[in-house]
Amino acid sequence: MQDPILYLKAALDKHPELKYSLDESSWQTDFLRFFQSQTNYNISKDSISLGASLYKGKKSYGFGIDDPTPQKIDIALAQALEIIDSLPEDPHFVDVENDLTLAPAREVVNNITAIPLATKTEILSSLAASAAEAGFELYGTFICNHQTSRLINSNGLDKCSTLSPIYLEIKAVHKDSQITVMETFGGDDFNHFDLEDFRTRLMRKIGYGANPVTDVEPGHYDVILAPRCVAEFVQYLTYGMNARALDQRSSFFEGKIDQKVLSDKLTIVDDPTDPEMINRDYGSGGHIYRPLKLIENGFFRSFICDQYYHKKTGLPKNGNTASCLIVNTGDQDLDTMIAGIERGLYVSSLHYMNFINPKETSLTGLTRDGTFLIENGKITKVVNNLRFTEKIARILDNIQVLENRAYTIPFSDNYGSFDIETVKAPHALIKKFNITSSTKTI
Amino acid sequence: MEQKIKNLISRLSAPDVDFADIRITFTDDESIYFENGNLRGYGSSMGSPAIGIRVLINGCWGFAGSKDLSDATIDRLIKTARGNAMQGSKFQKEAVSFPALDPTVAEYHHTPEINPFTMPKAEKLDFLSQLATAIKPAGKIVHSYVEAEFNRQERYYANTEGSYSYSTVFNTLPLMSVIAADSGQIQSRTWPGHMSAGRAGFELFYAQKFQENTERIIKEATDLLKAPVITDERADIIIGGGHLALQLHESVGHATEADRIFGQEISYAGKTFIKPWMLGKFQYGSEILNIYSDSTDPRGMGYHPLDDEGVPGKRVEIIKNGILMDQQTSRHIAHKLGLEPSSNMLASYGDDFPLVRMTNLCIAPGQGSLDELIAKTEYGYLLDFTKTWSIDDNRNNFQFTTEIGYKIESGRITGIVKEPTYYGLTPEFWNACDAICGEEEWEYHSTFHCGKGEPGQVMKLSHGVAPARFKNINVSVKM
Repeated sequence: MQDPILYLKAALDKHPELKYSLDESSWQTDFLRFFQSQTNYNISKDSISLGASLYKGKKSYGFGIDDPTPQKIDIALAQALEIIDSLPEDPHFVDVENDLTLAPAREVVNNITAIPLATKTEILSSLAASAAEAGFELYGTFICNHQTSRLINSNGLDKCSTLSPIYLEIKAVHKDSQITVMETFGGDDFNHFDLEDFRTRLMRKIGYGANPVTDVEPGHYDVILAPRCVAEFVQYLTYGMNARALDQRSSFFEGKIDQKVLSDKLTIVDDPTDPEMINRDYGSGGHIYRPLKLIENGFFRSFICDQYYHKKTGLPKNGNTASCLIVNTGDQDLDTMIAGIERGLYVSSLHYMNFINPKETSLTGLTRDGTFLIENGKITKVVNNLRFTEKIARILDNIQVLENRAYTIPFSDNYGSFDIETVKAPHALIKKFNITSSTKTI
Repeated sequence: MEQKIKNLISRLSAPDVDFADIRITFTDDESIYFENGNLRGYGSSMGSPAIGIRVLINGCWGFAGSKDLSDATIDRLIKTARGNAMQGSKFQKEAVSFPALDPTVAEYHHTPEINPFTMPKAEKLDFLSQLATAIKPAGKIVHSYVEAEFNRQERYYANTEGSYSYSTVFNTLPLMSVIAADSGQIQSRTWPGHMSAGRAGFELFYAQKFQENTERIIKEATDLLKAPVITDERADIIIGGGHLALQLHESVGHATEADRIFGQEISYAGKTFIKPWMLGKFQYGSEILNIYSDSTDPRGMGYHPLDDEGVPGKRVEIIKNGILMDQQTSRHIAHKLGLEPSSNMLASYGDDFPLVRMTNLCIAPGQGSLDELIAKTEYGYLLDFTKTWSIDDNRNNFQFTTEIGYKIESGRITGIVKEPTYYGLTPEFWNACDAICGEEEWEYHSTFHCGKGEPGQVMKLSHGVAPARFKNINVSVKM
């Protein structure tokens, strides 16, 4: 059978009055989920899907087909052609993507076959044995995806890309106290996974978890945010860097191009080429994905803008999607950062953040998977999980120190096709972080 | 399809297989999105297939799923599911216990009043276009949207115990929203709130009175720009149905998913503060609080004749007179807790692994109308229309902000406040409930977007509630 995307292209090319953008994706996952240091379930899933956006003048209609066949394509296309004339126009639509730049060819290893289930369980068994010596059990996921996609549009764009991300997330939970700590690995090159380094980092956190549990009062604290937390705040911040948010008048960055908005210690780039991260060739609409400076020494530099909003808002187009964020490093190691705090907190991970007002970057959320009290330069106690109510802009303006090492942190898009992306960030010392209540639980 | 799925089940019945099941779904989705009065997106995905095969071998689950239902793919899925179970059992300490159930055969087909997939497209678009035009930017309104999502799912299920079900349902999610801006500030209002979905067709737009509320949300969003914030430390609050549904969802619904007790969701969704000893003893809420899970009520999106591991739909009393009595369970977890399975195991699509999910989780009605409850409130706030929600991974500490609060003084609404925010701890909060409105105010509020599990699934589910009052709640969050 002819490739579905080419079958649909051939059919559409008989309609020169139409513009179109097509996306064919083949996706697989091998997904091990574990709890209590044993298998919860093993899942293998796959799908092939074809998406189409058709434009007739300023009228548009889209359809998606899972497991596409010529018969399904014919039916969907006939329905689209029948309906598109009757639709109202979108006056802001001008054209589909016209950036035809091809990314350099690169070899992508299929990590589903490179890291078989037997290897995963062997690694987990080894780590579980170490954790058990301290009374901890392992919970988490070990995932490998493999995805190929091809984009074709009526401007002659024809681009293929492959991703094969790895996501290992381990939460070590004490059998009795439920004290939890977390360690992760993410990327697309398993050669960067060092089992002994991973074990060392996990066991160091498990060591923190051996301290007694306490609670702290609401108030402003000096806080060391783990790289995962820094990464997550930066991810949330990029909501307002999107041209769509600007167009909706809900962007914190409205009117702030080239203005200083955050700490001068902070620089953020969206860089799809870093070898320690999950690399991407193309961004929205198939535009080439290139490094883009978003924040430079605290100054806001660029909105993230695709073809549609480029035409609508006049902002420069870049095709970035903030999927490869990198936060710059600083000049202190973690031990020195901790040693400099008289009384403060170490926050390992964040949970359930939600904007209160995106234009102000105000939000609430919680700490999770290891919150620790720092006293006289040392981690002395485990703290119940805490709620904060803050403004991201204020947090990132209150950076005192950035660590001299960055870590690659994987995140999963749990509501879509389980896309995995990475952010690279160091630990950060933040002053006056606003803790607003305690959860009274670990 | 019935014969196909039964043939597949017979292929899975092998001496080393303790249990196996198969689910197949065909899903239609259509979405329409107007932004600032213009049609910004219209798309569909029709007849999307999915199949999932789950096997229990050596006390371990293995699963394989695909969108491809061809014979060759199914052969591969069977082999992969078996391999996943056998390999997984090598990293296992305790075998999954799975007591047998009697087989059940069931069939259910829902028919909406107005089928959104077959109604005239022009009629559908005209209606939505008129709504979009009515709220498009003008004055202080700078952004608006009207959204419609229509869903139809045909579902087949069979297992090696002889259970089989075939069902068809229609679901609709309607929503409209405006953003007002002035002096660098924005405020938003939606209608009818973020729990707007329902087991229905296009008739939901009429039932939820969209046309009658366009002017209201424009005025309220605009007025909120000048409204004060709450300055009280604590206050009595009445929570309207749409938002109370989310409060219930987050602080009771997820908390009583019993897979969390055993850590099966620690890696993503989290734990729960509930411990097994609490069943039958723990004062979760005040004595007027009765909460039940009811997958037998076809008015809610959580209705099903059979769940995704062969348990017939049922009503389970989760909280009775304020006491925690039961849990939402799988067959395995129910056995570990000494409970009967509650019919809460569901997979969003055929190629998803079933998880403990809410179905129709409801608060039993009390007495009286909302107007009567307001009249009986000396001082406080009526809060509704969710803006921000957040709860910790043990489901104990929550904080919510609604789009608007209506100030109550001497039994009357006297003004509005913006971004009212309250927080609390789950048991203290539900024990502060001193009034629940009656049948006349009770209705289902539903969502398409309850996320859980890895790989992630979004579930459609419902909550039946009436507005309720909570005494002396902390409303003092300051930034």
